[in-house]
Amino acid sequence: MCQNPNEHSLNPSHFEGSTEEKQTAQEVEGGFAAYTQGMKFFDPHVHMTSRTTDDYQALADAGVVAIIEPAFWLGQPRTGLASFKDYFASLVGWERFRSSQFGIKHYCTIGLNSREANNEALAEEVMDILPLFLQKEGVVGVGEIGFDDQTAAEEKYYRAQLELAKEMNLPVQVHTPHRDKKKGTERSMAIALEHGLAPHMVVIDHNNEETVKSVLDQGFYAAFTIYPFTKMGNERMVEIVKQYGSERIMVNSAADWGISDPLAIPKTAALMKIKGISEADIQKVTYQNALDSFAQSGQINEADFIHGLEIDQSLKFNGNTVLRGGQAPRVDKNSIFIR
Amino acid sequence: MTTAELIYQSIASLANPTELAWIEDKSAADAKGLALAFVMVPRKVSKTPIQKDLGLLAGWNWQHGTVDQLVRVYFLIQLADKQEGKSQIETLFDTAEMNELVALYRALPVLSKPESWLHRATDAVRSNMGPVFDAIAFGNPYPTTFFSELAWNQLVLKCIFNDKPIHLIEGLDERANQALAETLADFAQERWSAGRRVPSQVWRLIREFDTKTKKQDLERLAASPDPNDRKAAQLVLNNSPLEAWKELEIEEKAY
Repeated sequence: MCQNPNEHSLNPSHFEGSTEEKQTAQEVEGGFAAYTQGMKFFDPHVHMTSRTTDDYQALADAGVVAIIEPAFWLGQPRTGLASFKDYFASLVGWERFRSSQFGIKHYCTIGLNSREANNEALAEEVMDILPLFLQKEGVVGVGEIGFDDQTAAEEKYYRAQLELAKEMNLPVQVHTPHRDKKKGTERSMAIALEHGLAPHMVVIDHNNEETVKSVLDQGFYAAFTIYPFTKMGNERMVEIVKQYGSERIMVNSAADWGISDPLAIPKTAALMKIKGISEADIQKVTYQNALDSFAQSGQINEADFIHGLEIDQSLKFNGNTVLRGGQAPRVDKNSIFIR
Repeated sequence: MTTAELIYQSIASLANPTELAWIEDKSAADAKGLALAFVMVPRKVSKTPIQKDLGLLAGWNWQHGTVDQLVRVYFLIQLADKQEGKSQIETLFDTAEMNELVALYRALPVLSKPESWLHRATDAVRSNMGPVFDAIAFGNPYPTTFFSELAWNQLVLKCIFNDKPIHLIEGLDERANQALAETLADFAQERWSAGRRVPSQVWRLIREFDTKTKKQDLERLAASPDPNDRKAAQLVLNNSPLEAWKELEIEEKAY
C-alpha cells in the first residue's frame, strides 16, 4: 500500500529501492514477523504512557525486550510543578511496573521538554526537582531536551540541562525540531560541544537524510524515528543504512499519542532483512547501538532482559512474582469468550 | 542496642568494605544528604539476597529482602530522627520509583513515631504495583500493629482479591474479626456466581465467627470436587487448631 506513488510522497525519499525490492516488500506486508524470528529489539524512544496494554503485548510478541521512555510533552500543557513531579514519578514507578508485566524492561530519561521550557516560571521549578529524579535507579539519561520553536527560553533550559548531564555523567537524548530542522540540529550539536559534552554521550534524535552526515561526522549518535508522515519512513531508513552503514546509527519508534507505530523497529528490521542488509548490521541499528549509548549511564545491565525479563530478586516474595507462574498475563485476542 | 545499631551490625556482615565505607560516610550527612543517599543506594550497594532471618524485630521478615533494601532502611531510620527528616521522607514517598517505595514501606515499623505514617501505609494497600503492596502486606508487622479494623480488613480482602497468599500477612489469625468474616462470605458468594473460587485457606478467617451463610457455605465446600476445599470445611467443622491449616498455606488459582 505504501508503494502508491501518491502516498509515497508523504515520505519523500532521496533513495529509491529497486522495483523487485518494492515488489517483495509489498508481498510481505502484514507478515513481517516471519523475517524477524529470533531477533531481539531495543527501542530507545517510545512514550508508553500514551499507549495501551495491546501495544505492550504486541511489542513483547515482536521481540522488543527493552525500551526507553523519554520524558516529553503530554499533549496538554502542564500548569504546575506537581503534575511534572507526578509524571516523572510515573515514569520510574507505575509505567515501569506496567511494562514489567509484559516482560519488557523499562528505562527512562528525565528532562524538561523544549515546548514546556517556554513557560519560564514553571521551568525554573522543574529544574529544581530534576537532579533528584536523574539520580534514580533505571534513569539512563537526560531527555528528551533540545529545541522546538528555537526560542531563547528553549536555549536557556537546553544549556542548563546539558550542564546537569555533564555533572552527573549521563547520556543526553536530544530532540531536534520539526521545523527548520537542519539549522536546529546544527545548533543543538554546537551548543552541546560548547558545553564540553563528549559527542559519544549525546544521541541526536529524529534525523533524516539532510542531517545524518553532519551528526555522524561530528561523532554523535544518530537516532532515526520511524514515524508515519512527519518523520522517517522505513524504506528511507533502509537506504540510509545502505549508505552510511551501522556505526552509531539507531532506529526508534517515538510512538506516542499521535499516529505512530510502536512496532516500527521490528518492521524496519524485517524490511532491512528483505532488502539484503546483514543481520549484524540490523542487530546494531535495532538493538546494540541503543544499548551501548545509554548503557554509558551505568544503569543498564543487559543480563536483566536479554534472556527474557529476569525477575529481580527484590520483586519476589516467597517465590511469588508479579508475573504469576513466571508468565506475563495474557488474553487470547481471538477468543470470543472473555473470562 | 537500638534498632539502627542492630541493622548496622547486619549490614556490616553482608556488605563489602567499599560499600560499608560509603554507607558510613553518608550516615554523617544532613537530612538532604541522607535523602539523596537513599536514592543513590543501588549505584553503590549490591542487591545481594539476604536469605536469612535477621531477627531484628518480631514479624519483620528479611528472608526475601536484599542488602540494598536494608541499607535504605538504615538511612531512613537516621533521616526520621533529623529536624527536617519528616518532610524529606514525604518527598521521597512523592517521587519514589518502585524499589524505593518497597524500601520505604519496609522501613515504616522501625521509624520514630511510626503511627504518623499510617496514611502512607494505607496508600500502599491501594497500590496496583504488586511489589509495593507486598512490601506493606507481607513480612511486615506495621499493619497488624497500627491498622484500624477497617484498614486491616481492606488489606486482607485486597490480598485475596488479587490471588495473593494471605498466610504471609503478619497477625492474620490474631486480627480475624466478625466484619471480615461476613465480607469474605459475601465475596466467596460473588466468586462462586462468576464460576470462580477463593483459595481454601481463606476459610480459616471465618472459623470462629458466625455468618448468615456459614452452614450452606461449609456444606458447599464439603461437597466440592476440590480436595483443598473439602479439607478447609473439615478444619472449620472440627474446630481444628491453627497449625492444622499449614498444609493449605499455598498459592491457589482462583479459576
